[in-house]
Amino acid sequence: MIDLDLAAPLDRHPATVLSDWIDWNGHMNVGYYVVAFDKATDTLCQQFGCGWEYTRDKIGMTFVLEAHVTYDREVKEGDGLRITTQILDHDAKRLHFIHMMYHAEEGYLAATNELMLMNIDYQTRRSAPWPGFAMERIEKLAAAHATLPRPAQAGRLIGIKKK
Amino acid sequence: MLQSLPYELPELVTRAPLDTHRSTVVPEWVDWNGHMNVAFYVTAFDQASGAFMRNMGLGRRYVDGKLGMTFVLETHVTYDRELREGAPLRFTTQLLARDAKKVHLFHEMYHAEQDYLAATNETIVMNIDYASRRSAPWPVPVAERLDAIWETHKLLPKPAKAGRVMGLSRR
Repeated sequence: MIDLDLAAPLDRHPATVLSDWIDWNGHMNVGYYVVAFDKATDTLCQQFGCGWEYTRDKIGMTFVLEAHVTYDREVKEGDGLRITTQILDHDAKRLHFIHMMYHAEEGYLAATNELMLMNIDYQTRRSAPWPGFAMERIEKLAAAHATLPRPAQAGRLIGIKKK
Repeated sequence: MLQSLPYELPELVTRAPLDTHRSTVVPEWVDWNGHMNVAFYVTAFDQASGAFMRNMGLGRRYVDGKLGMTFVLETHVTYDRELREGAPLRFTTQLLARDAKKVHLFHEMYHAEQDYLAATNETIVMNIDYASRRSAPWPVPVAERLDAIWETHKLLPKPAKAGRVMGLSRR
């Protein structure tokens, strides 16, 4: 397993907007924001041993139960991105966290993605408690991230404001 | 505000919910877990939003004609059941609210043969002026269609999965 990174928020996921991610509006398509965020989720899961190798070695999987995205500003082909991650909560089987996507050079917030992730048993494809090695690290990460303020974009309710 | 649109609009469907959109899980949408990846649910739902927009009189011709665009501001997905490569999909779309510039939509995605609910998506879409890339009121013919669509959609009950706030429930 890789060394545990207890910097809060987790800040080790750079990315670049690929040409395939652009739609007819000339900017990154809504679906590909989530492609980019899903790769950042893997960077987080690697921290506690539940990344790609966890599934490749048929130990387990992680499934997303729910996702909320705010699209705050456009990004264009070739733009560099920086995605940070903050753990908000966890229990025996689940992890609640939020990603923030920034334009790497200009520094502006492009989008956020709040997620509920669940651990899955490889054989049954049903929910299962986090393995001990993962839970130990999740608790350390969560304790480090507990010092951060709760982002305004977490826990949002969708609606059109009445004027 | 655009007073008219320079192309013929499709026949208006006021049936509620809108149930015209179909799709299929293509191989590129499947990930290392052997099921449709989370991101491509959003792509599939975005295409269902596109079907709703076409019924409103918007779509590719609106963008290619450099009249305007529609941007998603916010989206919330519940992943209810897995989908495998090749699965046929059908969608229903309910208009929950609208104002001068925005619509609030609720999509449900079903496996078209086995009929189970695979996912839901609540989303806010805003009209954008092509030149300024800033928000703008709906073109007049679109606002008129939206009013006609609202007359039938407002009679539907609010979906149970609409208006969710994410969190771990404590037992």
